[in-house]
Amino acid sequence: MGKQSLKIALNKLNLKTPIIVASGIFSYGEIDIGYLDYKKLGAVVTKTITINPKEGNPQPRLWETPSGMINCIGLQNPGIKEFIRKKLYSANIPNVKTIVSISGESVDEVKKLTEMLVKKDVKVIELNLSCPNVNRQNLMVSQNPEDTYRFVKAVKEICRSKTLIAKVSPNVTDITETALAAEDGGADILSLINTLKAIAIDTEKRGVIEGGLSGPAIKPVGLKAVYDTYQKVDIPLIGIGGITTGQDALEYILAGASAIGIGSALFSNPYIADQICETLTVFLERNNLKNLSDATGLLNEKNKTGAKKSRKKH
Amino acid sequence: MEAKSFQIKKNIHLTEKLHLLELEGSFLQSPVPGQFIHIKIDPFFLRRPFSIAGYNDNTLKILYRVVGRATEVLSEKEAGDSLNVIGPLGNGFPVNNNYKSIFLVGGGTGIAPLLFLTDTLIRKNLNISFFYGARTSECIAFHLLPYGVDYIFSTNDGSYGYKGLIGEVMQQHIKKNGKPDIIYGGGPYQMLKQLAKISAKHKTPAFVSLENRMACGTGICYGCVTKIKDKTGWEYKRVCKDGPVFNTEEVIWENNP
Repeated sequence: MGKQSLKIALNKLNLKTPIIVASGIFSYGEIDIGYLDYKKLGAVVTKTITINPKEGNPQPRLWETPSGMINCIGLQNPGIKEFIRKKLYSANIPNVKTIVSISGESVDEVKKLTEMLVKKDVKVIELNLSCPNVNRQNLMVSQNPEDTYRFVKAVKEICRSKTLIAKVSPNVTDITETALAAEDGGADILSLINTLKAIAIDTEKRGVIEGGLSGPAIKPVGLKAVYDTYQKVDIPLIGIGGITTGQDALEYILAGASAIGIGSALFSNPYIADQICETLTVFLERNNLKNLSDATGLLNEKNKTGAKKSRKKH
Repeated sequence: MEAKSFQIKKNIHLTEKLHLLELEGSFLQSPVPGQFIHIKIDPFFLRRPFSIAGYNDNTLKILYRVVGRATEVLSEKEAGDSLNVIGPLGNGFPVNNNYKSIFLVGGGTGIAPLLFLTDTLIRKNLNISFFYGARTSECIAFHLLPYGVDYIFSTNDGSYGYKGLIGEVMQQHIKKNGKPDIIYGGGPYQMLKQLAKISAKHKTPAFVSLENRMACGTGICYGCVTKIKDKTGWEYKRVCKDGPVFNTEEVIWENNP
C-alpha cells in the first residue's frame, strides 16, 4: 500500500499526476478556482492562442445535449502579444506544468507563434490542428495528413529543444493517419481527441447552433481513437474525450493513454481530479503495479500480440 | 467560492410560475445581493445558475421557474434531499451609501436578486420603491415581499396593479414624483433594455442583473459572454465573472439576444 506512484513521463515531459486540464477549459491557467485541488493536476493547457486577437462567436455559444454539450466559443483570445505580455507569467501554478496551446490558419502563422513562445522559453507547446486551413476551403488542418505533417514539421523545426504536442481532430475517416503524420512531422506527444462536429436546433428561437460536441457522449469515440492510435505510433498519447469519472480515466490509460485530459466535466464536477487519482491508485494496488506507466496500454491488443502493424512513412 | 452539498429545507410551488427553494447551510464567504449559485441537478451534465434571493439564518433562498427538464426535476426534489452547489459566484450589485432614494425594478423570476438586495437595503432606512411586473396577478409572489418598502405593481393583463410594462409604469412615476438616485433591475432582457433607455433619458445610473446560458459559471469557459463597451468599441465580457450585474450604460443591447 502507498508505494504506487501516479508520476508519469511523456517523453521529456514529467508530470506529477497524469491529469491534464484540456485546452479551452481553464482560460489561461491563471484563474483561481477556489474549489479545485491543484495538487492533483499534472498540467494545464491554456486556451488556444492565435496571432491576432479573436473576439469569438456571437451567442449562443453553448448548448447542453444528452450526456454532453456543444460549444462554439470561436477561440476568443487576446492574441499572442497580449497573451505574452499579460497572461503567460500569471499562468503558473506551483508544480503544475503550463502548456501553451496555439493555432494558426497557415504554416507561417504557427511558425511565428512558436518563435515568439520559444523566445519566452515556453517549454511545452500544444499545436491545435482543428483550426480551419485557409488554403483548403476551411478544411481543418488535421483533416488532411499532408497538411498535418507540414504544420507539425514547421513548428518542430523551431522548437527542437522543447516538447511539442500535436492535438488531432476526430472528424476524419481514420484518425491514425493524421496521428502518424503528426508523429512523422516530429511531434513528441499526441493529444486525442478534440471535439466532434455537431449541431443543435433551437426550435423556439428557430436557430441552429453549430460547434464541437464534448462530454460523456464522446467517450467511446475518444477511447477507440486512443486504442487504434496506440497500435500505430511510438510516441505517448494524451487521451481526451468525455472523461467524467475515475473509471473513464482508467479505461483511457488501459487503452493506451499515458496521461489523460479532462475537459467539460470540470465545469460541473469540482472533485474529478481527486476521483481520478483515487481510482488509478486503487487499480495499481490491486494489480500489484508500481508505476502508472505499467498500466498504459495494458488492455490494448498491441501488448498481447506484440506485433506492430505495418505503416507507410510520410 | 466553494463547492459543497446543501440539504433542502423547503421546496414549494409558490404561484403559477414561481417555486421557492430553501437550502440549509452557509458559505465561508457570505454572498452579496446580485451573486448567484451553480446547482448540479442530476442527471444533467451541466450545472444551472440561479440568483440568490435571500441569505440569512443559515438559509439560502432561490426563486425559480420551471422552464425545462432540469428545473422540472428540481421542482420534484423534497425536503431532506441534497444538492451540490458552487457559490457564491459573480460580482453583485454595487451599493453606495450616498444613495437615499432607490428604485428596484423586477419582472418575473428577475425579482430574486432584488429581494436579497431589499433585505440588505431595508436596514439602512432608505426610501425604496419596488416596481414589480408580472404576467398576471397569479404570478406575483406576494408573501415573499418584505415590509418597509413601497410596492408598485403592473401586470400584462391588468389583473393586478397597472396594466402594461413595468418600465413604463416606472417612467410615469419618475415624471410625477421625480427620479431616484439609482435604479437596480432584474428580469427579462427586453425589460432590462427598456430600463436602460429610461435611465439614460433621466440620467440616472442603473445596474441590472443579466442572465445567460452558462457552462462553468466561474469565468473559465467564455460561454456566457455579452457585448460590453470598452475604450475602442466593445468586447465580449463574461456574464458569470465580469457580471452578472452590469451598468446599463456599458451594455450593448441587442435586438434578438
